[in-house]
Amino acid sequence: MRYSTFNKNPVNPLHEPMFFGNSVNVARYDQQKHAIFEKLIEKQISFFWRPEEVDVSRDRVDFQGLTESEKHIFISNLKYQTLLDSVQGRSPNIAFLPIVSIPELETWVETWSFFETIHSRSYTHILRNLFTDPSDVFEDIVINTEIQKRASDISKYYDDLIFYTQLWQTQGEGEWEVRGKKYTVNQRELKKRLFLCVNSVNALEAIRFYVSFACTFAFAERDLMEGNSKIIRLIARDENLHLVSTQQIINLWQYGKDDPEMQEIAEELREDARDIFMSAVAQEKEWAHYLFRNGSMIGLNEEILCQYVEYIANMRMEAIGFDAPFEQRSNPLPWMNKYLVSDNVQVAPQEAEITSYLVGQIDSEVSAEDLGDFEL
Amino acid sequence: MADTYKVTVNGQHHLTVDPSQPTTLLEVMEEAGLEPHYHCRDGFCGACRVQLVKGEVSYITDPLAFIRPGDCLACCCTPISDIEIQQ
Repeated sequence: MRYSTFNKNPVNPLHEPMFFGNSVNVARYDQQKHAIFEKLIEKQISFFWRPEEVDVSRDRVDFQGLTESEKHIFISNLKYQTLLDSVQGRSPNIAFLPIVSIPELETWVETWSFFETIHSRSYTHILRNLFTDPSDVFEDIVINTEIQKRASDISKYYDDLIFYTQLWQTQGEGEWEVRGKKYTVNQRELKKRLFLCVNSVNALEAIRFYVSFACTFAFAERDLMEGNSKIIRLIARDENLHLVSTQQIINLWQYGKDDPEMQEIAEELREDARDIFMSAVAQEKEWAHYLFRNGSMIGLNEEILCQYVEYIANMRMEAIGFDAPFEQRSNPLPWMNKYLVSDNVQVAPQEAEITSYLVGQIDSEVSAEDLGDFEL
Repeated sequence: MADTYKVTVNGQHHLTVDPSQPTTLLEVMEEAGLEPHYHCRDGFCGACRVQLVKGEVSYITDPLAFIRPGDCLACCCTPISDIEIQQ
């Protein structure tokens, strides 16, 4: 079915499934089939931030003082995060927008991806501050074998869905041969690929980011690299929201609150979904091993980090209806929570500390003592 | 309306909640010295999910995380009856 940027057939989006229904025409948000995506958009926009707002200039001095093994941990994590956000800054758009069929989800996908591009820009902001020329770091992302291993697992489900969608859009349903290889394209096959892709993205948002978050915050616990940590806190808050959206999609399918065929597929591919998650866990543990191969850092080592991955994985898997696969029920890194708390409880909206509050904010509470040492 | 509600955690801890106070279930558990899971404390990450075995809760903030049947999000809800939870 050929994609049209403005579907001329009148459709009622309230009766459309999230994906593979009639393509969206009017971007309207006064009525929603799944109001949760509209709420996520509002929340995400309220979180708007720019990397330049965060001063990272002190980090350069801190970085010079790190040991070689700590520098390896810090830079490797930034590389991995750069990879993750490079993928996430484009892939939801390319993979999901052509097949999405309700306006609120379409806009959520765009909002989500846009925020991932802010994250990508913030890595440049951090690296440009640490190195006069950060090219070596960026260039290594494509050739570093440890990162490559992850990159192929992260992108393969997206690539598969995108390719099948392209075949379907240009050729329609049927059996097609492309460069000597046969492909069966029908609604069921497309939906299966969508299901696997969303599960893979869910695993990415759920645990892949957290190994590097833990390292960043471990530096911050020692009062090091605090500018970087401030940025990663903002990123972690956004990623939490992105994770909620993939969990929502998976649960809506599982509970038959959207496309009934997707409920069948969720049942049929349950084990595949679990495998995707478990292999992401295994890869993150391998990554922890790579990070600490030259030595640990104070407050964190490979073992504790792997326990944290298991702890997080339990929580994330229960959220989409799996039993917790690991023994680790208590949080091995309790200080992590301090960095993951969203500080947007709006006690007084004029408070400049509330990062989700509006732009151009100033703290107007200036007392006479603040000017005490001021002489004319 | 009862003066206080009882909260039973994992069948072994017995806590009381004063419904006139705007405390969340998470805060009640923390005050009792339990170590509940949490991240965002704002209903959008789902880290504080606990099983609601018995009783009812009401949400102080509208949660964004998906609440599976039989679960509740401790960071943004408060009991409106005696409840039993499992974490």
